[in-house]
Amino acid sequence: MAVCVAVIAKENYPLYIRSVPTENELKFHYMVHTSLDVVDEKISAMGKALVDQRELYLGLLYPTEDYKVYGYVTNSKVKFVMVVDASNTALRDNEIRSMFRKLHNSYTDVMCNPFYDPGDRIQSSRAFDGMVTSMMIQVC
Amino acid sequence: MSRQANRGTESKKMSSELFTLTYGALVTQLCRDYENDEDVNKQLDKMGYNIGVRLIEDFLARSNVGRCHDFRETADVIAKVAFKMYLGITPSITNWSPAGDEFSLILENNPLVDFVELPDNHSSLIYSNLLCGVLRGALEMIRKLRYTANA
Repeated sequence: MAVCVAVIAKENYPLYIRSVPTENELKFHYMVHTSLDVVDEKISAMGKALVDQRELYLGLLYPTEDYKVYGYVTNSKVKFVMVVDASNTALRDNEIRSMFRKLHNSYTDVMCNPFYDPGDRIQSSRAFDGMVTSMMIQVC
Repeated sequence: MSRQANRGTESKKMSSELFTLTYGALVTQLCRDYENDEDVNKQLDKMGYNIGVRLIEDFLARSNVGRCHDFRETADVIAKVAFKMYLGITPSITNWSPAGDEFSLILENNPLVDFVELPDNHSSLIYSNLLCGVLRGALEMIRKLRYTANA
């Protein structure tokens, strides 16, 4: 269960960012922004090796005392960043991977919508919103 | 993620995604050109009509169906033969009017609208209006009857 989900474009501006509403959202925006540096570092580190062997899932980017941040980058340099609660130890790596795969699939569907301009913020897609809601923590 | 769609009896395989994206690009370009949903609907209907008057010849040549004796037979042929041949789907026929001269075709998974989500500013756009025009054109050619489509 994620606490914050963000989709960042190739030019490093956010296409979609949503966090659990009760928390201070600015804190999450800042965390996502700082994690972009780590993402770039991982991409360039793996870039020395053969590019086609580079995996899309980047894994744990950095842990803080309350949260863990995971990253995933597509071949078109669109980045997905997910922040989860550090106390939630039940979340395994496979689950994070499957969450990212679902995000990637929903993102491709949004791309294929002819009314969506690539580079715009993802605002009108109900399917994408629904999928992200299912991944976030249910806070009453 | 690509799906194969059979095109006619020659089984020319083509990715249905290219087809869907082409139709989507067509509709969005029309929206940008006309900026008014009603005009776009009319244009889609006109385009569909032009496709329909030509498609009916192709359909009759390939499918060998005989003359339909009543409207119900026509409905069956449209849903089970024509849609199957050109779009690979079989819509369901429902909602027959009491007089038996109106019915509804419900398309469960219309390949034209894969991935499409209509934004709020185009709420009166009839996205698949091309199909209505095709049916109108085709039926007018063979029965010389007025056909009105309510999408």
